[in-house]
Amino acid sequence: MHLKYESSTREPLVEGNKTYHQVTEDICKPIEQKPSRLWYIGFFFSISLLLFGVFSVFWEVYWGIGVWGINRTIGWGWDITNFVWWVGIGHAGTLISAILLLFRQGWRTGVNRAAEAMTIFAVMCAGQFPIFHMGRVWDAFYVLPYPNSRGPLWPNFNSALLWDVFAISTYFTVSLLFWYSGLVPDFATIRDRAKTNLRKRLYGLASFGWTGTAKNWQRHEALSLVLAGLSTPLVLSVHTIVSFDFATSVIPGWHTTIFPPYFVAGAIFSGFAMVQTLLIMVRKIFKLEEYITLAHIERMNKVIVLTGSIVGVAYLTELFMAWYSGVEYEQAAFKWRILGPYWWSYWAMMSCNVISPQFFWFKKLRRNVPFTFIMSIVVNIGMWFERFVIIVTSLYRDYIPGSWSYYSPTWPEVGFYLGTFGLFFTCFFLFAKYFPVIAIAEIKFILKTSGNNYKEKMAPIEEKSVEEFAHEMEHAH
Amino acid sequence: MNERFEISPRLRNTSLALIAVGIIALVAGLFNLKLSHDHVDQTRFWIVLLHNSVFFAMVTVASIFILAATSLAQGGWIVAYRRVPEAIGANMWLFGGIAVVVLLSIVYFFQIDGHNPIFHWVHPDGDAILEGKKAFLNPTMFTAFTVITVALWSYFGFKFRAISLAQDLAPKGKTKLYFYNMKVAALFLVVFCLTMMSTTPWLWVMSIDAHWYSTLFSWYNFASSFVSGMAMIMLWVVYLKNQGNLKIVNKEHIHDLGKFLFAFSVFWTYLWFSQFMLIWYANIPEETTYFKVRMQGPYSIIFYANFIINFIMPILILMARPSKRNYFTVTFMAMIIVFGHWLDFFQMEMPGPLGAHWHLGWYEIGIFAGFIGLFIFAVSKSLAKHSLVTSNNPLLKETIIHQS
Repeated sequence: MHLKYESSTREPLVEGNKTYHQVTEDICKPIEQKPSRLWYIGFFFSISLLLFGVFSVFWEVYWGIGVWGINRTIGWGWDITNFVWWVGIGHAGTLISAILLLFRQGWRTGVNRAAEAMTIFAVMCAGQFPIFHMGRVWDAFYVLPYPNSRGPLWPNFNSALLWDVFAISTYFTVSLLFWYSGLVPDFATIRDRAKTNLRKRLYGLASFGWTGTAKNWQRHEALSLVLAGLSTPLVLSVHTIVSFDFATSVIPGWHTTIFPPYFVAGAIFSGFAMVQTLLIMVRKIFKLEEYITLAHIERMNKVIVLTGSIVGVAYLTELFMAWYSGVEYEQAAFKWRILGPYWWSYWAMMSCNVISPQFFWFKKLRRNVPFTFIMSIVVNIGMWFERFVIIVTSLYRDYIPGSWSYYSPTWPEVGFYLGTFGLFFTCFFLFAKYFPVIAIAEIKFILKTSGNNYKEKMAPIEEKSVEEFAHEMEHAH
Repeated sequence: MNERFEISPRLRNTSLALIAVGIIALVAGLFNLKLSHDHVDQTRFWIVLLHNSVFFAMVTVASIFILAATSLAQGGWIVAYRRVPEAIGANMWLFGGIAVVVLLSIVYFFQIDGHNPIFHWVHPDGDAILEGKKAFLNPTMFTAFTVITVALWSYFGFKFRAISLAQDLAPKGKTKLYFYNMKVAALFLVVFCLTMMSTTPWLWVMSIDAHWYSTLFSWYNFASSFVSGMAMIMLWVVYLKNQGNLKIVNKEHIHDLGKFLFAFSVFWTYLWFSQFMLIWYANIPEETTYFKVRMQGPYSIIFYANFIINFIMPILILMARPSKRNYFTVTFMAMIIVFGHWLDFFQMEMPGPLGAHWHLGWYEIGIFAGFIGLFIFAVSKSLAKHSLVTSNNPLLKETIIHQS
């Protein structure tokens, strides 16, 4: 048996005096109780936003793309901005579940379930935008390559837009499988505790007859490993290919080689911000502060300041290279970005994404929950502006001054965006009510290493001299 | 824990022999190339020195970076052998210093018919593009950036080692220095962002092809030198283990380093592909000219070798778990990776000054051998100076029971 020990310099990841049973009780409680008033209010508010979104989309489909504010010069506006924004947010989940798993980061267990759920809902929201941007949405299936009756009409395999179709659908599928396979043992736990027949049946169905035998666990572990291996390249590939949508072109401001890694860094940045927004609410509403601790929040804030700074280096690199290249079109693109009529969007991006995360250099602020909550929203406002800046301010000053243009969204565009918030939060409220928001089995896995009460018992090990400890461990092997 | 490393005569003699090879190559180069009347020979003399000194400076700073990164992330896995990157980082002044001397000599003293064959921007001579870049590409700016960068890297190289040594003497259970180390690490990351991740490769490497530009270039250089830096650490750890040192290091630790070699080889490929594919796809002549000479021109063999050695080999050989736990495989692959990325820098730096007249001959190999010898000599000296295992590091017990 491997020794359960971790250094006392690490903060515990589970506070309080928890046993395995107490963990189950705490996390299952919200599922087994009637939802609070707050939940109903939030849920119905989300549903109404969603309905407004459906109406806005119906309006657009009925009358055509002309009801949006985009024009000949600015062919991509809020639609693609929102698409990239949501896809970016959908990055944190798989990063936490796959890459942090590979890096053996124990703290992921407190946040991975909710982050993965968020990923899936965010990708669902993102997918709506390119689909309805097509205009004749009933022909949307044309993007799928299959032997068809349309003669030689195939999608263009050389187009980054088509790569995106594959990248995002693959990402969605693998993320969903990863998330669900983790849920299976937890569903079985809820099934076994169920007091009503309906609940027993439904969770029984969802858990695929999990019995918790050694064989079950062994297969579960093998599957997790395979899925983690598949997801890791996907974390990078999805936003890389989204960046190709822009960077494969020859449009100044879009065509730049730093785009792939910088998009990925930005996506992780915004994804972690969204995880903060959601989890700060979840831990408060469901009283899960002992599982989603200040240590978790602080670590995520560190990721935010790191990725925010990486993004900052990329912004400045782009700006520098625009000058350094000596290409006057590049220089003009950045001049119009910073000083043109859309100057406010560039500065909104810079201040929200690069300057404001620097507050997280201070430990006090990293561990301040209200401040973190506000910052998490500021970051996502900034990341929205980043995409707006990249898309709209690269297009609006065309090569010919005669086609220079300005763009503002119309109500169906705004309604569409609000509608995706409705979709996102409707899904999230349902998830929070019916699914264990923290991975029960995975918390139990780290409890005896990183739980507060168990860590206190490690004092004798800390007292031992290193030589003695090393000697003992040699024999234990 | 106190564990001393004694430099074996064999290691010392090998390193001295390699240094001798390097010096012979340098002297021969001085007479055969530097003093030759042929312009290509003269350029070759300098560019090879630039290639090796820049490569080794960047490989050395990779060790400082991994110390900073793992300190901030509270990585327990590296603590068992963190004296190795500490010892490499403590020699930053040496390899950085050599790079400064070589780079500045090229900028100030190398000149053929009034122009600089390596850094064209030294004498723009009415070239409109170079004139446009003059605010950044000029000898004063170059000198300032280069000297400050190397000074800062060297400072942090000493600093991390000093803190770690002070921790050994601190009373047991005191974590003050441990957290102080984290602060220094955070500060280093800021320095690293402003040097290695941006300005340094622009000046030292990209400005050789002074017309050309790529926003990804510095990150690509980072990936290339970082994975070679990890390979160097791997080689030292395996060597020390073979000498009977580093008793607490076992296959779990080797496996972790193997994962880093694998993962960052793939990461390098990712950046390689991002830079190459986007330029190929957009097909803008100002940009494709860079790959034209490398891919279809006289460098095509190196271009493809670069991809095969640095991507195909690591991904196939290091993917499986047992190969990352096998001392022979990881040693072999670490050597391959160091050589492969040395070649990667070769193909970045040679085409600009030498065009079709590149060599991979006695001079290139000799200078490379000299640098390897110096690296072994200097790092082994640093390793032997203090205990090979830290004491009182709060994560030391974690590293003993570490499972990869």
